[in-house]
Amino acid sequence: MESSLYILPILILLIFAFALLRKFNAYDAFVSGAKEGLSLFVTLFPSLLAMMFAVSLLRESGLFTVMARQLGNVFPAIPSDIFALAFFRPISGSASLAILVDILKTLGPDSLAGKMASVIQGSTDTTLYVITLYFSSVGVKKIKNSLPIGLFADVIGIGVGIWLTLQFLV
Amino acid sequence: MNLIWILLILASLTYGLLTGSVSSVNQVIVNVGRETLELALPLVAATCFWSGILNIAREVGLLNMLQKLLSPLLRFLFPDLRDDPEALGYIAANITINVFGLGSAATPSGLKAMECMQRHNPDKKTASRAMVTFLVLNTAGVTILSTTIVSLRAQFGALNPTDFMPLAIIATSCASIGGLALDRWVNYRGK
Repeated sequence: MESSLYILPILILLIFAFALLRKFNAYDAFVSGAKEGLSLFVTLFPSLLAMMFAVSLLRESGLFTVMARQLGNVFPAIPSDIFALAFFRPISGSASLAILVDILKTLGPDSLAGKMASVIQGSTDTTLYVITLYFSSVGVKKIKNSLPIGLFADVIGIGVGIWLTLQFLV
Repeated sequence: MNLIWILLILASLTYGLLTGSVSSVNQVIVNVGRETLELALPLVAATCFWSGILNIAREVGLLNMLQKLLSPLLRFLFPDLRDDPEALGYIAANITINVFGLGSAATPSGLKAMECMQRHNPDKKTASRAMVTFLVLNTAGVTILSTTIVSLRAQFGALNPTDFMPLAIIATSCASIGGLALDRWVNYRGK
C-alpha cells in the first residue's frame, strides 16, 4: 500500500493550486480554520477520558483477555482484540476510539490487529449517536427502520474491512 | 451508554480485585488522566492542522463544487425532496464535510437538513422515509480522509500511517451502498 502515501500530499497540492488560481487568501483561511480545531479539545477530552478509564480497567484487570480468548476460539483468523472494537463501533465514538488507542498501544500500529482496527474505525460512523442526535433535534419519536438499516450497513462495513485487511495487509 | 459504562467499570474492578491484579488496576486509576491528556493533545493539534487545510478548501469554493457534483445523485436518492433545493443543499454540505472526516463540523448542516425534511413530514412524531435515507447515508458515512486515525497511527510509530486508507474507503463505500440498497428495497418498493 505504498501508493497510499500519495493521498495526503496530492489532496493538499490540489487545494493550494486552486487557491493560487483564484488568488485566494489561503493563509488567513488556514489560521481561522485551525482555531476552530482547538474547540474540539473541550468536547473530546471529557468523554474520551471516561472511556479510556473503562477500557484501561478492562484491559489491566485481565477481564478483557479472558473474554477475548473465548471469542478468539470461535474465529481464529481474527485477532481477539478486534471483537471489542466491532461491538462498540456503532455504539460510542469515544469508546471505539479508546479501544483503537489501546490496540495501537499494546500491539502496535503495524500488527495485524492494529491495521484491522484502523480499517474498522475508518469504515463506519457511530450509528446510535447520530440517530439519537438527529431525530431528537426535530422531536421525532418513531424512528421507523433507521436503526436496523444503519446497523446492517455497519455490519457490512466492519465485515468488508476485516476481510480486506486479511487479504491485503497481512 | 451510562449503564454499559458503569457495568464495564464495576466488572473490571471486581475481576481485578478477585484475581489479584490490584496493582495494575491502581496504575490505571492514578495514570488515566495524564495518559488521556498525552493522547488528546497531539490529536487536537492534528485536527487543528486539518481544519485549517479544509477551511481553505471550503472558503475557496472547492466544497461547493463537490456539492454540485453530488446533486444528481441526491435527487435520485431523495425523490421526496426533489423540489426542495434548500434541503438538498444542506444534505450535500453534510455529506461533503463527512467525506473529509470532519464529523463534528458536519453536524450543524445535518441538523438543518433534518429541520427542512421535517417541514415536508406529514406526521411530525414519525420519521419520514427521506429522513431514514439521510440517516443511513450519514451513519454509514463514506469517509475518504480519516485524519484522526492517521494521526493516531503516526503517534504510535506506524511505518506508513496512511496504509489503511484505501481499504477503509472501500469498506465504507460498501457499507453505504449496502445500507442505501436495503433502505431503497424496504422503504420505497412499489411507491
